[in-house]
Amino acid sequence: MSIQNLATKPGFRARGLFLLVISAPFLFLAAPARSQTSDAPQTTPSVTLPNVKLVIGGDTVKNNATGTLSVVGNVLQFTTDKATMQVQAPSILDMFTNEDSRQDITGAAKVATMAIPYGGSRVLSLFSHGVDVFTVEFTDANGGYHGTIFMLPQKMAAPFKKQLVAMGAKASVPLAPEPENK
Amino acid sequence: MEKILKSHTRTTLSVVLVLTIVFTCVFSLAAGSPAAPSSDDAKSTQKPSASSIQIQPIDPGDVPIPPDFRVAVYENLITQIQKTGKFQHVYRSGDKDAASAPDLVTLSMVTQSFNKGSQKKREVTTVSGSSQITLKVHITDHAGKTVVDRDVQGKVRFFGENLRVTYDFSKKVAKIVNDTF
Repeated sequence: MSIQNLATKPGFRARGLFLLVISAPFLFLAAPARSQTSDAPQTTPSVTLPNVKLVIGGDTVKNNATGTLSVVGNVLQFTTDKATMQVQAPSILDMFTNEDSRQDITGAAKVATMAIPYGGSRVLSLFSHGVDVFTVEFTDANGGYHGTIFMLPQKMAAPFKKQLVAMGAKASVPLAPEPENK
Repeated sequence: MEKILKSHTRTTLSVVLVLTIVFTCVFSLAAGSPAAPSSDDAKSTQKPSASSIQIQPIDPGDVPIPPDFRVAVYENLITQIQKTGKFQHVYRSGDKDAASAPDLVTLSMVTQSFNKGSQKKREVTTVSGSSQITLKVHITDHAGKTVVDRDVQGKVRFFGENLRVTYDFSKKVAKIVNDTF
C-alpha cells in the first residue's frame, strides 16, 4: 500500500487529526520552556573561581574553608561541599583587593588612603605577596555589620570587585588602572 | 623539790604562751575575714551585669591600619566574646535588635598604634619583624557610663601569620570582658 493511498483513507485522516489535536498543547508549551532557557544566563555565574580560601567571617562557612567563589546575578557566593554563603551586592559597604589604587584618593576618603601606604602602589595585607586578599564589608538582613576575608591566587580578586561594583556594591577605593598593552 | 617546782612553772608558762599565740591568731583572722565584708566593700567589688553587648567596628583614628586587619580583629572579637558565654546576645554594629536590649553594653575600639611586622623576618631572625597592634578598648553601659577603658595590645613575636595578631588581641579583650562582667 502506497503513502498516497493511506492519506486518502478517511480512517487514517481522522487518526491524524486526533494526533494533531492531542499534540497541539505540547507544541505551544515548548515556547515558554525556550524562553526560560534564555533567562538562564542570569543565574549562571558571571565570574567564578575554585580553590578560594575563606579566611575569616563566613557565618555559615567555617574559617579557612576552601571553596568556589562566584558572582551569580547580583550575589557574591562562596560554596563549599558543606555550606554556601551569599552576600547581596547592594548590601556590600566596601571592598578591598591588593589591586586597589592609591591614587585618586583625597579628602573624604582619607581613612581609606591611610589604609594603603605599606609599600608600592598596592595594599599590603595579612598574608604574603603571592596571594590576593579580597576583603568584603557588608550588612546582613538585620543591619548587622560583617566582614569577610577571602584569599585568592594573585591578581584574581579584581574581576570580582569590578563585577560587584557593576551590580551595585560600594567600594571606597577604586581598582588600579590596568597597564596599557604596547 | 625546787627542781620539780621550776620545771612545773616552765611548763605552765610555755602552755600559757602557746595559748596566747593561738588566740591572737584566731581573733586577728576573724577580724579580717572576707566572709563578713562591710556593705561598702561589697558594693565596690560587685561586677556589673549585662545580658547583651554590641561591638562597634574599629575606629582607625589617625593610625593607618589595613582593612583586612580591621575586619579580622572585628570577626575574631565577635567569636571570642561569644565564647566567654557572659552575654545572651552579642550584637554586631548596626543590628536593629540591639535597640530593644534593656541592659546593653557597647564595646568600641580606637587604634593607638599598629606595626605590620614581617612573617618572613620573624621566621628567619626570630628577634625582629614582630607584628603589633594596640587599640583603646572602651566599654560603656546603657547609661553611657564607662565600664572599661584600657589599651590592649596584640602581638605575634616569633612564628605565625600576621593574622595571629588579631587573634591575640581578641583573646585579651575577651579575658577583660570575662573578668569585668
